Amino acid sequence: MTDSNIEFGDIHWLMDILQNIDVGLVVLDRQYNIQLWNGFMESHSGLSPQKAKGENLFELFSEIPKDWFMKKAEPVYQLKTRTFTIWEQRPYLFRFKNYRPITGRASVMYQNTSIIPLESINRSVDHICVIIYDVTDIAVSREDVMSANKTLSELNRTDQLTELASRGYWLKELDREFLRCQRSVVPSTLVMFDLDDFRSINGHYGHQAGDQVLRSVSEGLRQTLRQTDQVCRYGGEVFSALLVDTDEDEAVVFAERVRKMIERMDIRYGQQSIRATASLGIARYQKSFTTAQDWLQAADKALYHAKESGRNKTTVYQPKAH
Amino acid sequence: MTLTPTEVSLSEDQRDCYQELTNVAMGQAADRLARLLDVYVVLPIPKVNLIESSDLHMAIQDAETDSAMSAVCQGFIGSGIAGEALLLFNDTSFSDLAALMNYGGELDRYGELELLMDVSSLLIGACIQGIGEQLEIHFNQGHPVVLGQHCKVDDILKSGNHQWTKTLAIEIHYTIEHVNIDCDLLLLFTEDSVAKLNNKINYLLD
Repeated sequence: MTDSNIEFGDIHWLMDILQNIDVGLVVLDRQYNIQLWNGFMESHSGLSPQKAKGENLFELFSEIPKDWFMKKAEPVYQLKTRTFTIWEQRPYLFRFKNYRPITGRASVMYQNTSIIPLESINRSVDHICVIIYDVTDIAVSREDVMSANKTLSELNRTDQLTELASRGYWLKELDREFLRCQRSVVPSTLVMFDLDDFRSINGHYGHQAGDQVLRSVSEGLRQTLRQTDQVCRYGGEVFSALLVDTDEDEAVVFAERVRKMIERMDIRYGQQSIRATASLGIARYQKSFTTAQDWLQAADKALYHAKESGRNKTTVYQPKAH
Repeated sequence: MTLTPTEVSLSEDQRDCYQELTNVAMGQAADRLARLLDVYVVLPIPKVNLIESSDLHMAIQDAETDSAMSAVCQGFIGSGIAGEALLLFNDTSFSDLAALMNYGGELDRYGELELLMDVSSLLIGACIQGIGEQLEIHFNQGHPVVLGQHCKVDDILKSGNHQWTKTLAIEIHYTIEHVNIDCDLLLLFTEDSVAKLNNKINYLLD
């Protein structure tokens, strides 16, 4: 066996590997004509190397935006540097269809590509190699994680029992509104209210009946709201509402509407009919508040006053200075 | 994975040598940028340091203000020497960057991603290649990973749980004349690469 035979054998193996490797390999010349087209490319495009060779890349694959691709490829010729594209930029370079009917969950193959310079004997770069990686699984699972995160953050924003905003989310909105109020002359008003003697409803009808009361009140509340009002279940049987662009008088109208709505409600739990009432406290934004917490406390004070003075009532917070 | 018992070290001579090496690589990178984009890149003196993993955060924060940033990371490996290049952009740079790269499209999130990828290919590639050529190492580069767009450093380095304690870091602050482009390139080698790199450097020092 001579040396040249061995070399010939080596090249034969290399060709076999190129043909069978599970990444796409395309060699392009300076005019972007295809010079090499490996087995991966043939399999996914259905185009044989004989058909592809010598053809212009952009004429054969109209899905490849010429300007975009040349922006990535020209530095490779000019600077002998490698460039890369990732699926986040463009999902694919070549539009290859999903080829896995059972485990493939995307309609197309997501691709990352590397573009590398191929030096000729005189060290100039007259050819480039485009390497195509199938990253569909990575892309799909990344998109799954993102949509799961979105669902989680939505779950975080709602109270599970009543489907009103959660306390955490609402408090953030309150902080934002507080900052806006500090800069603005348009007033906003806070309403806090709580169901009277909720403990005895729980004690008398059971906790599940109590939950039904909370759900019914929340449903009624949703129908009473304007689009800009932000309501949450603050905790237990306490609710709070942030009424943007609303002065005290308008807030009183809102609060009374809520109070009467609850008073009139006939809440059904199984065979039983449950009635509830609520006490409400109102506090308009005051320049003297230094934090959103002060504002909350003022509304809480008004609520306490409504409770003390007989329940099923609305009370407005009076700043001490007056 | 086995832990290397050898302490990572860096002598003054070695530090100078790394600095020189990076200078030359950056000179080449700047030359390439000049040819491609017709701009003059201001070459600063690169900072070469051994940093502890707990300092990584600070090293980056040091280079940047606390404004929003975008970051791209790319791994490289050759002759058993491996590392990652981290490119950090101050978000205020994008419109100037677009003008520089002749990017005509809209500067939305995708437009910015395109720019990030193009610029990082150029800067990281040129620098890695320059260092590799001098040390006669052929570095293979992995695919760039976008660590974040418009985030704080905390979000970019959220993992925090690094598998190393102390390693070699080369930090380059790029600025381009007459335009508001402000980016930092941080090359971080793996802990066990440092001894091998030092060996290569010692050849140059002899």
